[in-house]
Amino acid sequence: MTAFRSSAGAPPTDPRERLMGGLLLGCTALAAAAAAAVIGALGLETVRFFADVPLSQFLADLAWTPSAEEPGFGILPLLAGTAQIAGGATVMALPVALVLAVFLEFYAGKRTASVMNAAVAALGSVPAVVYGYFALNFVTPALKGVWPGLEAFNGISACLVVGLMILPTIVVLSREALGAVPRSILRQAVALGATRERAVLRLALPAAWLGVLGSVVLAMTRAVGETMIVTLAAGNPTGVSWNPLEGVRTLTSFLAQASMGDLAPGSIEYGACFAVAAVLLLLTFGMHALGRALVSRGHPDGPGGSRS
Amino acid sequence: MSARDEGTRTAGDGAVPVLSAEGLTVRFGEKTALSDVSIEIPRGSTVSIIGPAGSGKTTLLRSFNRMNEVIPGSSQAGTIRFAGGDLHSAAMDPAEVRRRIGMVFEDAALFPGSVFDNLAFGLQARGEEGDLHGIAEVALQAVGLWSEDAEILEARASDLSAEERRRMCIARTLALEPDVLLVDEPTSTLDPAAAARVESLIHALRDDYTIVFATCDHTQAGRLSDLTAYLDSGRLLEYGPTQTLFTNPRNPRTEFYLTGRLQ
Repeated sequence: MTAFRSSAGAPPTDPRERLMGGLLLGCTALAAAAAAAVIGALGLETVRFFADVPLSQFLADLAWTPSAEEPGFGILPLLAGTAQIAGGATVMALPVALVLAVFLEFYAGKRTASVMNAAVAALGSVPAVVYGYFALNFVTPALKGVWPGLEAFNGISACLVVGLMILPTIVVLSREALGAVPRSILRQAVALGATRERAVLRLALPAAWLGVLGSVVLAMTRAVGETMIVTLAAGNPTGVSWNPLEGVRTLTSFLAQASMGDLAPGSIEYGACFAVAAVLLLLTFGMHALGRALVSRGHPDGPGGSRS
Repeated sequence: MSARDEGTRTAGDGAVPVLSAEGLTVRFGEKTALSDVSIEIPRGSTVSIIGPAGSGKTTLLRSFNRMNEVIPGSSQAGTIRFAGGDLHSAAMDPAEVRRRIGMVFEDAALFPGSVFDNLAFGLQARGEEGDLHGIAEVALQAVGLWSEDAEILEARASDLSAEERRRMCIARTLALEPDVLLVDEPTSTLDPAAAARVESLIHALRDDYTIVFATCDHTQAGRLSDLTAYLDSGRLLEYGPTQTLFTNPRNPRTEFYLTGRLQ
């Protein structure tokens, strides 16, 4: 790394190298400009919105009904819906994902591991809209057999299927964290007369917990940003409900629904969408950064590690 | 001891072997790590295993406490006897074998947490309900890490120096009160002064334990061991009293190795 940096510090003399450097710089600038444009457009409309609606109302109102006669501009109901879906999905995915990660890392034979890895990877490559239809047309009818009072659009079906969608994230990243625990520790534990189960539960999992936590935060980030499944399976009710048998409206499902209608640019509903989008971006950006930090800190080579 | 004694495989003296291998062959997949090794470890003796890198020293140590079988793809032929019984018989619990034949690995594998956590781990795995602090204290005293204020127990293991880590790893194994102590490269990765101190610790432990250790440093084998085994490409080429083996090796390869002329 250092060698690379120091050689890159001197201006290249070869014209081909200079051309290459220019191209790379151009690509970087393009990506940065695109990101800046998104944030700029979002920020501009958000600032305009807050000129009309005070921030205090945005944070304190208990209703999000921007198109109503007496519009409510409270973000809390949407945040509550997002928290329900992301939290519920994580609660459903985490135990299964953790058991899978431990099994794949410490117990599965090579062949079993590669087959199951492929299966987990396949889960991760299913398009969200397919998951959404699956939730609406298979999971919800199946759940109706258990709870006849289940609404056609409900939170629990969305949680289950979003949980399925984020499962690979937790499995892959937790497995990486477990794999980074020095094998010498586990070997030494067995040499001290411990069973492999004890070595895994008492040493590997605690040593990897930061990375596991990071994988959960990153999986929740995906769940927070998930739109299609929630829109299709949980509907878009205006009220707030904590009953998982009823529909749920999240930041994303509101945005999906609102952007399908024709909102006049400059109208207050139009601005409201940007404000919601800004909140969503802040939330996912923050969670992503936190998750990444945890994953890299959890790695024994990272700053928080305990490499012996 | 068998009547068809070949001299290479016994220590003589008529001492009772606590550990013995007979025709031991260990393979990892296609690779043969040990080939037809027969050796007896007399109770109370200190035995060094020397030989070039990759000659099977660590594999031999690990076969004595059944640590090879946890490696996927390993297979073993021949028998190992411990205190008169077959080490691999159904009556032998591998966890119990590993407590009675303790092993200190070459790399100091620290468990997360304090020195006490490290020492308590094996005791808790055994289901020990007695005074863990008391046992830890005795073990730390034995390796010279104890001080009156007992502060060491609360120290984070990762804050210890390389020498202290090595001592702690030895204490962790001693806490289980093993009959035999296996030590792989007791002083590798230590600076010369620390290496000398850890070596004198091993020397002090000779009185209380049967010790088998592997070392790349044959002068260390000369200073510490009663008996020396010379391994070469997985074969036990020579085994006998350390002094004899060093001054009058029978096998020319042993002599080449000891004099640094091995190709």
